[in-house]
Amino acid sequence: MKLPDTSLSKLKLDAVTFDTLLKRQNPFQSANRTFDLTGVHFIAPSALVQLAAACYCLGRDGRQTTIAVDDDDVRSYLLRSGFVQVVQPVVRFQPRMSSLRMRTFGDMKGTNPLLIEVTRVQSGAELPDLLDRVVRVLRYRLRYKKYDAFDIAIAVSEICQNTFDHNTHACGFFAMQVYQKRFLEIGVADYGDGLAATLRRNPNNSPVASDMEAIYHATRLGTSEFSDRTRGAGLFHLLEIAYKHEGSVQIRSGAATMRFRMDKKQGWNFPVISMPGVQIAFTLPTKVGA
Amino acid sequence: MEKRFLLREHGKQLWTREKAKEIRPQLQGMLQVLNAGETLVIDVKGVEVFDYSFANEFFAKTLLSIPVDYPGRFLVVENLSTYTRENLEKTLESVGLVMIERKGKTLHLLGKLHPADQLTFDAIVRAKEPITAAELSSQLDVHLTAMNERLSKLAKLGLVRREKGTSPAGREQYLYAVLA
Repeated sequence: MKLPDTSLSKLKLDAVTFDTLLKRQNPFQSANRTFDLTGVHFIAPSALVQLAAACYCLGRDGRQTTIAVDDDDVRSYLLRSGFVQVVQPVVRFQPRMSSLRMRTFGDMKGTNPLLIEVTRVQSGAELPDLLDRVVRVLRYRLRYKKYDAFDIAIAVSEICQNTFDHNTHACGFFAMQVYQKRFLEIGVADYGDGLAATLRRNPNNSPVASDMEAIYHATRLGTSEFSDRTRGAGLFHLLEIAYKHEGSVQIRSGAATMRFRMDKKQGWNFPVISMPGVQIAFTLPTKVGA
Repeated sequence: MEKRFLLREHGKQLWTREKAKEIRPQLQGMLQVLNAGETLVIDVKGVEVFDYSFANEFFAKTLLSIPVDYPGRFLVVENLSTYTRENLEKTLESVGLVMIERKGKTLHLLGKLHPADQLTFDAIVRAKEPITAAELSSQLDVHLTAMNERLSKLAKLGLVRREKGTSPAGREQYLYAVLA
């Protein structure tokens, strides 16, 4: 059967291919509020949180978004990862998820393949508990050395705090997973004002002409919405930690994305379909049993 | 007089700027009751980690407030682990601040400081009592004007205290001191 143009046949949905999805289907620009994941056979945590942020963003007018997903494994994964439960208020699944399966997978929380399920973080006050959990999981399930686990939790903390420091009406989403004990992926996404709007609020910043420039400026030390000298270090330190642990980072905001690969200390930028907020994917080799 | 602020009482793992915002007023309250020349020690014993946002809000903001709101008071950190020292140092460097760390009886500086300023600080510590710019200039073989610039910088960073004294000839002069 020939799949419709909007489908993503045999696609791995991750932080990069999420943009392919938006390019083909873009519910932000069309009346059709559907993410058609027909044919998708794998979804990474960074894509899960981006999808969650997109659905909540679209749902601000009270309407639900449809996610069409046919693959049985992917449907199970969406349940086990906690994604279905998190997006339930703003998403309708096609075909529907059975409530029995939802309850069953709900009871399995903590035993799922994600180290930390998709979590909706609604205020900064929820962060310390989440970060303690990140440390516990890394140290006791993956046997990370204490300070390696702390480094990663600090990176997560600096990313997540931006959501609440710079937005009044957006929540954030977080997920973390390890793959074959070889690499760890962390996804953090929000649907707030985005980096460009945030930086433009501070008249002391140099003019920000585009989302691309905004990402570039935001990763430099001392550039922030606030003129306070103690601000504007979060994304800078994220990159420092990624560099130290030989990881990679993708920062997406508005209509731009920038990827940093830590064997080369530079970023590559790409124009993408515009989506509100900031979405970050952080990937690093695991230090399991280190 | 010396007061101690036990950071561990607020947690072993200190996350977020919000957490620091809750705690900092207590630190400020302690600074308020100190007189010039007195010291507030932040004891970090038992604290395993703080993130950069916490460190910026708690340490850096307090350091920035000292020359303005609490001139002459010393803020000192003790019992840092290798990990917390590294992260505090990175935080201070990113803001261009310097802080005194005390290990036993030894004082040294954390943060980004020009080696010449570090030498000047060390010379004041070695003097064990207030010392003049002229004495330091002669000791370190540095022109008096340059020495005055260094001392002014150290005083602005809250690392040394400037007090008025009288020279043997009866002239008014400034003396520089670190915490006792």
